[in-house]
Amino acid sequence: MEPLIIQNPQVGTPQVLLHPERRVGADMSRWRSSGGGVALERAVKNPAAVLEEVRLAELRGLGGSGFPAWRKWEAVAAETPKPDKYLVVNGNEDEPGTFKDRLLLEETPHQVIEGAVVTALAIGVNRVVFYTNPDLTRSLAAMKAALEQWQASDLLAQASTALGRPLELELLPGSGHYIGGEETASMEWVEGRFPFPRGKPPYPAQAGVHGCPTLINNVETIANVPHIVAQGAEWFRALGKGSATGTKLYSLSGDVLHPGVFELPMGTPLRELIYIHGGGLLSGKPLKAVFTGGPSSTLLTPVDLDVAMDFDSLRARGANLGTGAMIVISEGTGIVKRVAEYERFFAHSSCGQCNSCKVGTANMSRLLDRIDTGCGTAADLATLKNLCTMLPGTGRCHLINGAVQLLDSAFHHFPDEFRQALH
Amino acid sequence: MSKGIPLAEALARYRADADIAPLPGSTDIDTLLNTYHPDHLRGSVVKLAVGANAGDSCQRELAGLLQAEAFIDEADLAGSPVTDIDVLVIGGGGAGCAAALAAAENGARVLLATKLRLGDSNTVMAEGGIQAAIEPDDSVQRHIQDTLRGGHHVGDPTLVSALAGDGPEVLHWLINQGMQFDQTPSGDLHTRRAGGMSTPRLVHCRDYTGLEMMRVLREAVIQHRSIEVWEQSPAVELLSNEVGQKCVGAVLTSLNNGQLRIVRTRSVILATGGLGRLHLNGFPTSNHLGATGDGLVLAYRIGARLCELDSFQYHPTGLVHPSHLAGKLVTEGVRAAGALLVNGLGQRFIDELQPRDVVCAAILRECSEGRGVRVNDQHSGVWLDTPRLERAQPGLLEKQFTSLMTRTRVAGIDPRVEPLLVHPTLHYQNGGAVIDANGATTVPGLYAVGEVSGGIHGRNRLMGNALLEIISFGRRAGAAATADRDRGPKKVTLEHVNQLRRALTLAGLPMTQRAPQILPDYAAGGVWNR
Repeated sequence: MEPLIIQNPQVGTPQVLLHPERRVGADMSRWRSSGGGVALERAVKNPAAVLEEVRLAELRGLGGSGFPAWRKWEAVAAETPKPDKYLVVNGNEDEPGTFKDRLLLEETPHQVIEGAVVTALAIGVNRVVFYTNPDLTRSLAAMKAALEQWQASDLLAQASTALGRPLELELLPGSGHYIGGEETASMEWVEGRFPFPRGKPPYPAQAGVHGCPTLINNVETIANVPHIVAQGAEWFRALGKGSATGTKLYSLSGDVLHPGVFELPMGTPLRELIYIHGGGLLSGKPLKAVFTGGPSSTLLTPVDLDVAMDFDSLRARGANLGTGAMIVISEGTGIVKRVAEYERFFAHSSCGQCNSCKVGTANMSRLLDRIDTGCGTAADLATLKNLCTMLPGTGRCHLINGAVQLLDSAFHHFPDEFRQALH
Repeated sequence: MSKGIPLAEALARYRADADIAPLPGSTDIDTLLNTYHPDHLRGSVVKLAVGANAGDSCQRELAGLLQAEAFIDEADLAGSPVTDIDVLVIGGGGAGCAAALAAAENGARVLLATKLRLGDSNTVMAEGGIQAAIEPDDSVQRHIQDTLRGGHHVGDPTLVSALAGDGPEVLHWLINQGMQFDQTPSGDLHTRRAGGMSTPRLVHCRDYTGLEMMRVLREAVIQHRSIEVWEQSPAVELLSNEVGQKCVGAVLTSLNNGQLRIVRTRSVILATGGLGRLHLNGFPTSNHLGATGDGLVLAYRIGARLCELDSFQYHPTGLVHPSHLAGKLVTEGVRAAGALLVNGLGQRFIDELQPRDVVCAAILRECSEGRGVRVNDQHSGVWLDTPRLERAQPGLLEKQFTSLMTRTRVAGIDPRVEPLLVHPTLHYQNGGAVIDANGATTVPGLYAVGEVSGGIHGRNRLMGNALLEIISFGRRAGAAATADRDRGPKKVTLEHVNQLRRALTLAGLPMTQRAPQILPDYAAGGVWNR
């Protein structure tokens, strides 16, 4: 395992999830002394208030969807257990350029577990699965150690009492497949099968793992819950910039001087992230583009530098915050090559369940490789553009949509580069 | 501005039959070296700030190149054709050919890319011979000891013993390839004793051993069906895997049209030679036109450790006049045969058979103290007294130094009546990429052989060891590169270049200079001529 990219010192911005005092690893007593467990005690006394607080805080799904968390919670809370209710904490994190969940799991495992337990109390979940990328050995080790301490602690017993039935916590290494991070795919894996995404409906809230009502949330979403409960929705809302609430972990990588994870107010402009926190571009080159939310989204270009990086502002620009990953590339980086590499990744990651995705991604990858190596023709380019109109929405999950969105966006912003690379 | 006696005046004053005073007393060798040898020139050595050798001393001009911006960006590679091959050899001199042949013999498909033409190298300029312990009273052990001592005990004993141990086998292989050597009347290989050797060990072919070797290697490479040769195709960058820590290919360009080509491979063997054409500290050089240190730059940029970056060999007797021959060697054999060195005042100033670095320093002292012969504002030298040698041994020059006689005759000088004006010339890069006994550098997938590698010669190379090294380590690296059965690269990137840029920016270094240099500034033609 590569050593973790340590977050660079931040000055003047509030840190919640990555506050230095909370980065204690699997040390339960240090975590308790830094204020850990307060939210849980509050939730034990009044579980019903948690959902309301999260709703007021406008906590979003931080794994990429940006869907209001309370809606999913409410749907699961409304279901009756059949016989169980599940919470899957999604730490599959396999998107290129995303490396925030591994930091949370590795350095703040108790924060994540507390968040999950509070969530379980709020919506009546009795089985919690921490679904973690199997390659993140250090995160897995930290979570394993932390969970052992929880089993022995009074906190879990209190929660079980409040819940009225035993609360079971399980650490489950994922499949190692990119597609395993898709919410229904993760449920297949939890049930012991290959992570093929399922069709919807039924939605997981009605019938998820083993047919039981299931809530699935990203690690970062869950990690925010204890702070909202302990400090209140108003405090949380004030953390964000503009209409956005809370903070966001941005994974910054690519041609910047200081790559790393930065916890900044949700809605921080791209310019501030790249030029202040990231130290600017290598060799002082001009910015060319940013792959946001990993590559499965649209590109941002220098005209978007002052866009606030929150879900709504980016959506208004036709882009997507995704996981908050920002892969920055400077002038001098080849768009064709980059896009070809990412499309190869998608072709490799397609589960092959849906023909359009299996064949579509493979063909996009093949054609892009041809163009990138100087063998492409105008007909190849036309075929690619055709695929971009045919493929979206033809798969069970969003993989094919992401693959097309990336290519479509690259065509839109850098048409000349594709033309120039033709044979 | 050089001081000294003007050429015409010095020539008029020169008398071949003048009495020469004996050498004045003993010289303090250490002081002489520390004061006048180019390696010790004030301001000639700086500390490297980034890379695998950060903190180490490095020659100033070389440091500029090692810490320079790359030529190409990822965008430049868009639409570049890709070639997949087992082993890529960069460099078409003796080491490159030996490596390519060994890799091909081991079943690999080999691409040999060379900046100029196959055989355009310093190998062809090696006149003296090749060392190998083949005499009855010689031994590999003595060869090892001589080599280590010659290198001031800085050389790596493992590498030196590999080198010396390979000697006899290398000769055997070369003879099988068809190379000619001078023989004794009884048919044994003829050996000579040269500087630094405790016993005769130098096997040779007239005074053009390297040329003969290159002839044979070149034919073998051209004829081998598993070796493809790309001429006029210098490498501008290596390629790394997605984390920038393994060499998985190279980017080549074409001197004819500047097109970039990507070569993906399991291993790359650098055999790019030295850097004489950088003219360190303004010195002329004996090296061929392509010797611009590209291999060092590429290797350093991808993270390979280098060694002895502040140690170079200057040959004492390079021609100064006429100017188009500047830097060309006058072989050490002329001094060995008895030719003296005299300054512009007609005085001897050093024992001519001292080691090369000492003689160099002494010549530089004469020039800098105004006793040299001044050609123009930049150039001066001292006399190599060939007419006196001719008087002492009539006919010797014509008989034994035919190459020298031909070259000077074309330039309108007759060394038998007119002394040769000489000045130290940049000759050999003692250090280079750190390698193991297989020629593997510290970067997986990257090998270095020949002058671009380091560690064998310490801080001073013995005559005849370079020709041995290129075959011995060339063949070792060729075989090892083939044995590396790692699967082919999945992804080829310039990630290591980004890492370098990050380090350079953090170190506050300007990125105004670009490297590798490919051709000297003054070279004519080619799209890379800037």
